[in-house]
Amino acid sequence: MPPANDDPVLRSARREAVVVFLIWLAAMVYTVTYCYLNGYNRPVESLKFVLGFPDWVFWGIFVPWTVCVVVSFYFGATFMCDEDLGEELPEQEDELGLGGG
Amino acid sequence: MVPAGSLLLLAASPTGTPSVGYGTLAALVVFIVASMWIGMLANKAMQSGTFMKGFFLGNRGLGAWALALTATVQSGGTFMGFPSLVYTHGWSVALWICGYMVVPITGFGVLGKRMAQLSRKTGALTVPDLFRARFNSPALGLTASLLIMFYMSFMMVAQFKSGALVMKIAWPNSGTLALSEDAAYFRLPSQKLPELGFNPDVQSKLSKLVDRDFENETAFTDELKTELAADEFDKLKSKLVAAASPIDWLFYVGLGIFTVTVVGYTMLGGFLAAVWTDLFQSVMMLIGVVLLAILAVSAAGGMEAATLTAVGKTDAGFVFGPGYDPKHEGREYLPLGLAFSFFWVWVYSGVGSPAGMVRIMAGKSTEVIRKSIFLLSGYNYLIYLPLVVICICGRALVPDLPPGKTDEIIPRLALLTTAKLPVGSFIAGLILAAPFGAVMATVSSYLVVIASGLVRDVYQRFVNPQAGSHELRRLSYLAMIGVGAIAVLANIKPVAYLQAIVVFSGTGAAATFCVAALMLAFWRRTTAAGMLAAMLGGAGTMVTLYVLGGIFNLGGDRKIGPVTSFRPYYLFDLDPLLWGLGVSLAAGIVVSLCTTPPDSALVSRLFDAEEKPVS
Repeated sequence: MPPANDDPVLRSARREAVVVFLIWLAAMVYTVTYCYLNGYNRPVESLKFVLGFPDWVFWGIFVPWTVCVVVSFYFGATFMCDEDLGEELPEQEDELGLGGG
Repeated sequence: MVPAGSLLLLAASPTGTPSVGYGTLAALVVFIVASMWIGMLANKAMQSGTFMKGFFLGNRGLGAWALALTATVQSGGTFMGFPSLVYTHGWSVALWICGYMVVPITGFGVLGKRMAQLSRKTGALTVPDLFRARFNSPALGLTASLLIMFYMSFMMVAQFKSGALVMKIAWPNSGTLALSEDAAYFRLPSQKLPELGFNPDVQSKLSKLVDRDFENETAFTDELKTELAADEFDKLKSKLVAAASPIDWLFYVGLGIFTVTVVGYTMLGGFLAAVWTDLFQSVMMLIGVVLLAILAVSAAGGMEAATLTAVGKTDAGFVFGPGYDPKHEGREYLPLGLAFSFFWVWVYSGVGSPAGMVRIMAGKSTEVIRKSIFLLSGYNYLIYLPLVVICICGRALVPDLPPGKTDEIIPRLALLTTAKLPVGSFIAGLILAAPFGAVMATVSSYLVVIASGLVRDVYQRFVNPQAGSHELRRLSYLAMIGVGAIAVLANIKPVAYLQAIVVFSGTGAAATFCVAALMLAFWRRTTAAGMLAAMLGGAGTMVTLYVLGGIFNLGGDRKIGPVTSFRPYYLFDLDPLLWGLGVSLAAGIVVSLCTTPPDSALVSRLFDAEEKPVS
């Protein structure tokens, strides 16, 4: 359970990172599984096309890629929220051993 | 002037090498002039802040387009080796590359916001700066800096060779059409043989060697020994090696022009020059790919017809996994383990790239990071799948390119499909010159990172913390000139395995920094020792697996993946990156939990909400 006084940027960044991780996982599991089951070691006679793509490329790569573009648009446009990144530490200020110029 | 008809025949012929004459050279000049101009613009733009923040971080002013198209696009390597892979192995390469569907969202959505915030809170200008400040540990900062320089030095040397090769092949009638590692092979051209003035008997003996690729000088001379008598070999060796050597005066002229250009404009404009030239070449690449996709599909009679024609010239492996094996030696280009691995490789190479992290730190705001996600999503969508389609059409239109020539598929298609267009030669030249822009952009960004490591993370932190702006400026310029000079010296005898080195550098950096950056950003309990363990664990695993596979040849050639001698040991058929990430994660967590918790005041400042002043 994260501490209650978490920085709001940390809180939203963590939430977004978890969602992104799940999107990556879903894309990988679907794409690799579908392509392996439907696109490997088939006889050439079984070749079918959908919109010019071999069927397994269309359903296993083109469609999930299109979905990922839509999801990325949604994620960037609405799900991810804007935050104030805060003031930059003035140059030469070095309290607690932090950066500065 | 070569008539369009004969150009078409040449481009489609597997043996004849067409030439665009001065088209490529003209396009290269455009790239060079544009880059210098961009360098000057960037120089003006960075004047508003202090030198260090302006030169190494562009005053944190990157907009969405600049961030989106430059932070995670693997420009150089992606566009040079990739078309050849599709041409050779077919549709399964679409599965190999398709991890890029989630690269935009992972590259910016996982670490973007937090890295941007922490770099502001700490005033960090570089990745090692951030590592040092987050844990108040100079040793951690220095280690991060040294590791970054280790990986980037490998990459830099390889990229300088690429830049010089592009310059060489851009020369009119150079006899080569594309940047490929094969352009650096030893080859005795048939047209050179009569010029050497040997007697017919020797010429006949040498006929078995002409127009064949040899990986290095030793392989070439070994073959010579078998063909010539001992006295002939001793007498003619040096002349034949000189004739077959890929490294001639044109290579060195190319190396010189490339170095002066890229070091020059990077010194002028620093970080911003690197980013803006990267943006420029990314846009040029997009225009070229979209245009070529339309022309190639139309010329091949549609995608379905192209695939059927290509399958007719190969076999079922071209359209189904694990990919077409051109040598019929039982090699599986993309077995299940590697297909799975590459969904990690592209994604975590983006998340864990130090050059990418710096660009995110330079982003103007979270709005810029958000917009970058969908801009890059659209960009990748329009680049990668169309590139696959182009090369499938290429296999149908130019079906029989021999193994050493498959990198020429894009230039040949460019010539073939633009021959009847107005200014077709220049368009083809632009497509041919695009790798040069990509290599320049990559080198420029690494120059900035390495120079910032030397000046900011080593000199300013450990040698002279009081150094003034004038001194830091002078040292930054010196560092860039020094790095350029070292890269030139290293290329007097150029490295082999160019593509493999690029892959090693990218995945090695990811295994080293990805887990460490995640721990730094999200886990309060992380300690400096845990960070060190995560970085060294990831790096050590990568180096170990490459040494076991490449030097000790453990497991032999498992007949998976691309053919190269610089191959890692594929433990359980997985890419070493997966093992590197696993070890890095385990080491980081265990060592953090076993060491003293970090300073609570420091953690609180970087993790807790700021208390609002009571009015």
